[in-house]
Amino acid sequence: MDQLKLYGKAFDSRLLIGTALYPSPAIMRESVAASGAQIITLSLRRQSPEQQQGKMIWDYIQESGCQLLPNTAGCKTPKEAIALAEMSREIFHTDWLKLEVIGDDYNLQPDPYGLVESARELVRRGFKVLPYCTDDLLVCRKLLDVGCEVLMPWGAPIGTGQGLMNKYNLRTLRERLPNIPLIIDAGIGAPSQATEAMEMGFDAVLLNTAVAKAQNPVLMAEAFKLAVASGRAARTAGLMLKRQTASPSTPTLDMPFWQQAPVAGAGEEL
Amino acid sequence: MGRLLAWRLSGKGHAITLFEAGSFDMPPGACHTAAGMIAPLSELVHCPLPVYELGLQSLRVWPQWVKELELQTGSPVDYRQSGSILIAHPQDRTELLQFQQELAAKLGTESQQHFQWLERTGLQNLEPNLERFDQGLYLASEADIDNRRLLPVLLTQIKRRNAQLREYTPAECMPGQIRHADGFEQFDCVIDARGLGAKKAVKGLRGVRGEVMVVETPEVRFQRPIRLLHPRYQLYAVPRANNQVVIGATEIESDDLSPISLRSSMELSSALYSIHPAFAEARILETRVNCRPATMDNLPVIEHEPGLIRVNGLYRHGFLLAPAMVQQVESTLQQQTLQVT
Repeated sequence: MDQLKLYGKAFDSRLLIGTALYPSPAIMRESVAASGAQIITLSLRRQSPEQQQGKMIWDYIQESGCQLLPNTAGCKTPKEAIALAEMSREIFHTDWLKLEVIGDDYNLQPDPYGLVESARELVRRGFKVLPYCTDDLLVCRKLLDVGCEVLMPWGAPIGTGQGLMNKYNLRTLRERLPNIPLIIDAGIGAPSQATEAMEMGFDAVLLNTAVAKAQNPVLMAEAFKLAVASGRAARTAGLMLKRQTASPSTPTLDMPFWQQAPVAGAGEEL
Repeated sequence: MGRLLAWRLSGKGHAITLFEAGSFDMPPGACHTAAGMIAPLSELVHCPLPVYELGLQSLRVWPQWVKELELQTGSPVDYRQSGSILIAHPQDRTELLQFQQELAAKLGTESQQHFQWLERTGLQNLEPNLERFDQGLYLASEADIDNRRLLPVLLTQIKRRNAQLREYTPAECMPGQIRHADGFEQFDCVIDARGLGAKKAVKGLRGVRGEVMVVETPEVRFQRPIRLLHPRYQLYAVPRANNQVVIGATEIESDDLSPISLRSSMELSSALYSIHPAFAEARILETRVNCRPATMDNLPVIEHEPGLIRVNGLYRHGFLLAPAMVQQVESTLQQQTLQVT
């Protein structure tokens, strides 16, 4: 079985999904089910976690039976992120954490320095940290150095739906960190982009807006489920390399050789 | 919801007792906090189709009911059917296109008749103070009502009809009876419109926190509700009498009634400021926080059994849905009465 293994746990699904922005909690839960996701993220930042006043919706999310991945969305400093992580652990009884430390308000770009500092402390405190990071190889290495076992580089800024913006960097990450689970987190807007990420060899995809804001979130969740599975299967099966010369898939023994494309040469322009 | 019901039912000759957990002047329910928009199209992108359909029904009913109420009391309630305008900053123009696309997906070709694209001149003609914007969507059929005028006027008329009014009386609603601090009271029928007060009685009812601000400035005037579309937050600005504008509203999955957060006030204020720089000198008159009663599918609910009707889950659509829900309660009540007879 081709399973996704993160922090010693195995998952059949390679799609992780967020729980925000849906038209209603009921549609959110239906979408999660349709996506086949076994890991779901949720945010506490604005819900007064100290008072447990979002308990009803948290309980509703927990009924999905998925591995919860609380996140620190909205935190801008290690201190905030660590405090929220501790509260999340207490409320949800899980030490899994999607670590977000935002450095720029406009494009919600992760702050690499705050991220590494927070990750170091959270790993020390026993958290299983999945950091939302940029696609910078050196930042990723630092996160591994401080004890993260999984990395979640962005495809594009959160909520933009721009897809994989810097494929060179992403390929570099995949090539240089071949044994680290890499999950593309954020920026995925279309199932085809999720497929592409999986074809490039990423281990999983995490997304929210593309499903939650679709006109039919449940159907879009299913589309992403198929897209991720398709990309993974393609990667496993082995993609052919692109070629310049056409190579017919049916025999062409009867085709005379002069019908081939002209070879660049005497008197011919390239 | 409760007052509108009491007004309608007392008008049909029912003897009404109206209970209020807080004061009648400053009721704790979301109806007092809301901005009073009756905007089925603007809301369609956030809500399931039945809410839109009920909203259209309400939109047809409101003008007649307002006319009746104003005639009965001689007090205006500032109902205005001048449409609403949706705008986005140039870098967020996709939001307008997305809105149009979602409308088309939900209403099909019918959607075309409900909105009009406005370019700079058209926008300026309707709202001269939107000079920063080159494009907008005009939803001509939408309306709004000044809830802070409507609520006392309804109460005045309910009083005139000799209804019993009981404020500061939190109550439990049961078939044919009410339980409160002083004991039980019997009624032919109890209508439970307590919103989040009925959390234990209505399965899956949750609170969704909303934060609203009221500002005042003589420098910027709008003729109708304006909505600023933005990828991260949505702002509405509803003009009220005396140069006031109600701006809102956040939407946070929490039962939290604590005062507005600094972050929310900054988001609301900066979004408003981005519409017109003169808002920088507007005075903040009030901040309001409340929790909207919502079911897990965000649809309103009517439950009934002999002697008891519960109506709840109006979520962020109190004034949009209230008349349609009142009509459903009236119909349920009539059926119950016929069965008893």
